[in-house]
Amino acid sequence: MAPIIELKNVYKRFGDNIIYEDMSFAVEAGETFTIIGGSGMGKSVCLKLMIGLLPYDKGNILYRGREVADMDREHLRELRRNVAMVFQGGALFDSMNVFDNVTYALREHTKMSDQEMLERAKECLDMVGLGYDPDILYRMPASLSGGMRKRAALARSIAIKPEVILYDEPTTGLDPANINRIGKMIMKLQKELGVTSIVVTHDMPIAKECSDRVAMLHQRRFPYIGTPDELWNHPAAEVSDFIQGRYYEDKD
Amino acid sequence: MRAVESIGKQLREGIDWAGGVSVMLGRAFAIGLRRPWGVYDIFYQIVALGVRSVPLSTLMAVFVGMALTWQFGEALMGFGAKNAVGSAASLALVRELVPALMALTVGAKIATGITAELGSMKVSEQIDAIASLGADPLKKLVWPRLIASMLTLPLLNAYGNVLALGGGAFIADLVFDVPAEYFYETYVDELYPMDYISGLVKSFTFGLLVGLIGCYQGFQTKFGTEAVGISTTNTVVATSVAIIVFDFILTTIFLPVG
Repeated sequence: MAPIIELKNVYKRFGDNIIYEDMSFAVEAGETFTIIGGSGMGKSVCLKLMIGLLPYDKGNILYRGREVADMDREHLRELRRNVAMVFQGGALFDSMNVFDNVTYALREHTKMSDQEMLERAKECLDMVGLGYDPDILYRMPASLSGGMRKRAALARSIAIKPEVILYDEPTTGLDPANINRIGKMIMKLQKELGVTSIVVTHDMPIAKECSDRVAMLHQRRFPYIGTPDELWNHPAAEVSDFIQGRYYEDKD
Repeated sequence: MRAVESIGKQLREGIDWAGGVSVMLGRAFAIGLRRPWGVYDIFYQIVALGVRSVPLSTLMAVFVGMALTWQFGEALMGFGAKNAVGSAASLALVRELVPALMALTVGAKIATGITAELGSMKVSEQIDAIASLGADPLKKLVWPRLIASMLTLPLLNAYGNVLALGGGAFIADLVFDVPAEYFYETYVDELYPMDYISGLVKSFTFGLLVGLIGCYQGFQTKFGTEAVGISTTNTVVATSVAIIVFDFILTTIFLPVG
């Protein structure tokens, strides 16, 4: 079966700063694919390239075989309906309450009634563990904790029932209980909804526990891709040093 | 040589900026004119940008009317012609001072407010989130603010004209013993429809500039804690310069010599 998302020889730079050079990998439908790598190397940029939020300079990024760079407005809209993104800080809309945030994509893409959207919002908030609070729907993002904001952002992403969810550092800044909760949610969405997940993270325990495959960004490409066991037992020093949290000197 | 390079670099940056603003204007209208038109969002912005600017507009218009009338009254007294203060003040206020000062004060306030809001959204990735959810940020964020500021400034201009007239009449009566009714009659008699139209066209143009520059600077905000501050400062400068330049251009169009 063809991969659901595929990157081939992608090159991306910002001014003189080259982020990716000959970057390639493919993600199969239904898998959880995790991207790890050093801070500031451009892991989040990779997610934005996949849904056309940033342009790429050379190479191919394909969604179900279709080139993202060649998509017109309508096809990009369709891509973004099927591939949702959870941003690092949640990126909830400050001027809207939780209900309006969670139902944003529903109002944009569907003709659901207010009652149907309310039911869907409650369902999504239950799935992410926020359904216990009867007032949650009408609270503003500023009144939520960091963990609650990330879960509300996740509820917003799943409301439209996407095929793929991109997670940009979903556990950064959270306490251990919430990290565990987010990790379990990623696995639950994969098992119960068959969602393909692409996760960018620094969290090695989450990467090992939740992933079908892990890719390590090193020197602007992905030379190391494999199952968690393969990566965690990889002979290359840069891989084991990174995973174990030891300092390694990047010769590039 | 370095000075020449620096000037060249600044010129190029200015041209890039003007190009970026023009592209945003074209794209905003191209997407905004498609249904749905976002009427609710536009009205929301008219309240947010316009209604909340009424107190500042009131202050500005009343004091400009009073100050200018005082200036003209004092000068005309020297010629024994203080009764002409209404005629003298009307053209300056309606054609120039009310539209330009309204844009420079209230317009700059509106523009920096837009930049601060959109810049904060940019820094917190909310603009990317709008795009990732399948909506167009230009349609959702730029279009309503652009239309709202284009409608708001002419309305505030008309409101300001009335208040400036009132402020002038108050000073004429209180300070120069020119009855308020006489001030009003001479004020209005001096004006032709084109004078009102030129003031409104100026406000409409200034509203376009204010909304457009505010939105563009917001979208161009870089990441980091000081980025929003830098963007809003640049917005004040860019808006002020644009208003002054376009004010001159429109003045030459509406008042051709000869």
